[in-house]
Amino acid sequence: MNDPLTLHIRLNGEPRVFAADPDEKLLELLRRHGLKGAKFGCREGVCGACTVLLDGRAVYACLLPACLADGHEVVTIEGVGDQEHPHPFQQALVEAGAVQCGFCIPGMVLSAKALLDENPQPEDEEIREKMDGNLCRCTGYEKIWTALKAVIAAGGGGGEDAS
Amino acid sequence: MKIKAVRRPETPEQARDWARELGEQALYVAGGTGLHFMTDPAEMVAIPLDRIGLRGVECSGRHYRIGALTPLADVMNYRAERWAFHETGRRTATHQIRNISTVGGNICRVFPWCDLPVALLALEATMVLLGDDGYAVPADDYFASQPARRLANGDLLLAVDVPVLEAHMGFGYRKEVICHSGFSLMTVAARLRLEGDRIRDARVAAGAALPFPARLKQVEALLADQPATPDTFARAATEGVREVAWKGREDWSDAYAAHAAAIAVRDALDRALTFARRRDW
Repeated sequence: MNDPLTLHIRLNGEPRVFAADPDEKLLELLRRHGLKGAKFGCREGVCGACTVLLDGRAVYACLLPACLADGHEVVTIEGVGDQEHPHPFQQALVEAGAVQCGFCIPGMVLSAKALLDENPQPEDEEIREKMDGNLCRCTGYEKIWTALKAVIAAGGGGGEDAS
Repeated sequence: MKIKAVRRPETPEQARDWARELGEQALYVAGGTGLHFMTDPAEMVAIPLDRIGLRGVECSGRHYRIGALTPLADVMNYRAERWAFHETGRRTATHQIRNISTVGGNICRVFPWCDLPVALLALEATMVLLGDDGYAVPADDYFASQPARRLANGDLLLAVDVPVLEAHMGFGYRKEVICHSGFSLMTVAARLRLEGDRIRDARVAAGAALPFPARLKQVEALLADQPATPDTFARAATEGVREVAWKGREDWSDAYAAHAAAIAVRDALDRALTFARRRDW
């Protein structure tokens, strides 16, 4: 173990201080501190199951050195709605029956949140560009797409969450 | 490769000085995605560059200056007259990667499948570096060998200058992948300069199916001072790539890579010609 780094991260709206190994990835740090919504999937920046928001942008936590989150804002799925107050996309996923095993869903929600926060009314091409880093091995994407289009049709749902 | 310590500079000069002090242990970290591919067991001291600025794209009139720490997503989203480089950003990896991967990271440690070097060779870009002082290196020299070796002395990439495409110049880019977000199997970029209906000169570069990105000088020679026609492009694309030692990646044979190269070159030239003839700027 190397000397730990001290990282100051605004995590889900709360200022937090973490001790991190210099070699640690953000995903490892988050899960070590109980935030297990971001998943260990491919661990090589392909599947998107580890997606979190760094200063509002979707990134792969499995690739991001934790030290690069120092001084920045991180949002995980734990900071985006809950059972009583889900993010509009979370609600739409349920209503569309778009969740099967659910492993990809936290990443999907965060990518969609970043997309909708930036542009509540994206065209299809922009949706594909911004959601292209999240794989789902169950649904074939149709119902996820339907859910996202429903949120967009209802106004985009930006800014209606806990973060 | 393992990071054993982190030192975070506030300025490019401080980063350079620390890199020089640390010598072979120093490792500049921009977006950090390239670390995944650095598998040697060395223990390094990371120098994250996220606080030293160098982000954004500006047009000076004669060229676009892209800060070395500009994420590829910002390159993709930037729009300006006769700006062609966003296409390269859009076709790189996934949105999550584009959000953290930087222009500098993509061209300081060049892997065979890297996208930007091919485009920057074709566009005749210039790299702006910080050594003892600032200095500039043309793309042809910069990509003549692995840039990471040039930068091993602590020199730091500050920016990339991409010349504005003049009237009658066009740029085309073609990347072959198995899936949209996959690594490139064949990348080709072309810049044409027209004079009436003739090609005054051309710069064509390729990567991914080569050990290292390189210009296709035989293709360029077959284009120069020729009519800008499909026949010219077909001849340049087939004859010009014949002597190149193509190296197929993943499941591609070398012979198939050569076949794909000819198609990609032709496509890139077609796109460059269409770009050059646009009159809606």
